[in-house]
Amino acid sequence: MKMIEIEKMNKSFGELKVLNNINLEVNQGEVISIIGPSGSGKSTLLRCLIGLEQPDEGSIKIEGIPVKTSKEVYRKMGMVFQSFNLFPHKTVLGNIIEAPLVVNKAEREKTIELAEELLAKVGLLDKKDTYPSQLSGGQKQRVAIARALAMQPDIMLFDEPTSSLDPELVGEVLNVIRDLARDRITMLVVTHEMGFAREVSDRVVFMDQGKIIADTTPDRIFKIPEHKRIKSFLEKIL
Amino acid sequence: MNYILNVTTFILKGSIITFELYFATALFSVILGVLGALGKISGFKWLKTILGFYTWVFRGTPLLLQLFFAYYGLPVIGITLKPFTAAVLTFILNYGAYLTEIFRAGIESIDKGQYEAARVLGMNYRQTMFRIIIPQTVKRVLPPTSNEAINLVKDSALVAAIGMGDLLRAAKQIVTRDFNITPFIIAAIFYLVISSVIVKVFNKLEEKYSVYE
Repeated sequence: MKMIEIEKMNKSFGELKVLNNINLEVNQGEVISIIGPSGSGKSTLLRCLIGLEQPDEGSIKIEGIPVKTSKEVYRKMGMVFQSFNLFPHKTVLGNIIEAPLVVNKAEREKTIELAEELLAKVGLLDKKDTYPSQLSGGQKQRVAIARALAMQPDIMLFDEPTSSLDPELVGEVLNVIRDLARDRITMLVVTHEMGFAREVSDRVVFMDQGKIIADTTPDRIFKIPEHKRIKSFLEKIL
Repeated sequence: MNYILNVTTFILKGSIITFELYFATALFSVILGVLGALGKISGFKWLKTILGFYTWVFRGTPLLLQLFFAYYGLPVIGITLKPFTAAVLTFILNYGAYLTEIFRAGIESIDKGQYEAARVLGMNYRQTMFRIIIPQTVKRVLPPTSNEAINLVKDSALVAAIGMGDLLRAAKQIVTRDFNITPFIIAAIFYLVISSVIVKVFNKLEEKYSVYE
């Protein structure tokens, strides 16, 4: 089943063309890493997908439904940000149950049960009553992942989830994402962690100057980068 | 001693007006401030223009002038208000203007990532504002709001200028009658006690909100 179909998507910020004729299809259960130099449009692509930005042209379908016909389809996606964006005035548990209770009007007991399950999954059950300010960056991001999962999305979008973390905290977040990949949740991960991209992704998308330059298997992109742009990027970063 | 007791009782009676004015203003100006701030950050241009004019006028002219306008000015165009009504309306509009600006700045100081996080979790504008943004704003606007709350205690004395028998006017009447300044000192102590209670209340609130961050 096609989870995401993007056709001929364009997006400009003023004069700057950040997305240039983007075409992308994602199947159910696929894990896709999006790599490329900064300013290449990776984050904007995710933000357009989930409706935080409006593309100028093109069509987006989520599970076959065009986003233009139903805003509800955005709910099929969850998103994790580089800067966590946890709600500072709520406890860890409060952060996770907020949306299910308020948006889905879910039953409180069941929601708490689900939240505790998710916290156990990301290894932070003992932190459920603390406030985000008392957590490390890696812990914050794991809570953010649990918070997104509590809405039971079919697709998870990760926008540079480890870019603002201290190096020693990157691993714990990647491990959580790796577990999700094993559960076969459809995922799009914008990342600079090449080892991670290589290991968990089914496909790697390389973007540069708003275009998708390559969309292929990790082996092909890392072992035999055909395009010289990709080659020079990988040489710089690896 | 008996004299002081009598004077205090008299001033205490005057202070009832002060308290009534204080609580009415506090309650309604906060509501007005929240609505004004939400209007100012909304996308409606005409609303922003109207609110901009409102805060410009009420923050840019003396409160005493506004009070005179409401009590002595409005009758000219056929609207005659009782002193208390005139005072309460003027104070609510005046403090509402300041609070609109304080709350607007508070709301705008919240990181836009908070809106985005709420949005991708499926929350609508109302849910985002009332459950995520405003609760965080409350903490940030407590200190400037506490300043306004103390100012209001002192500004309430202005109503004496439109002939209302408030705390200060009561004191002044005795001073004029007895040629004795004790009533002023008693009035000053009254004001200090009220201000101190307000400061205490706000300190407690700030403490309560300091559990996070």
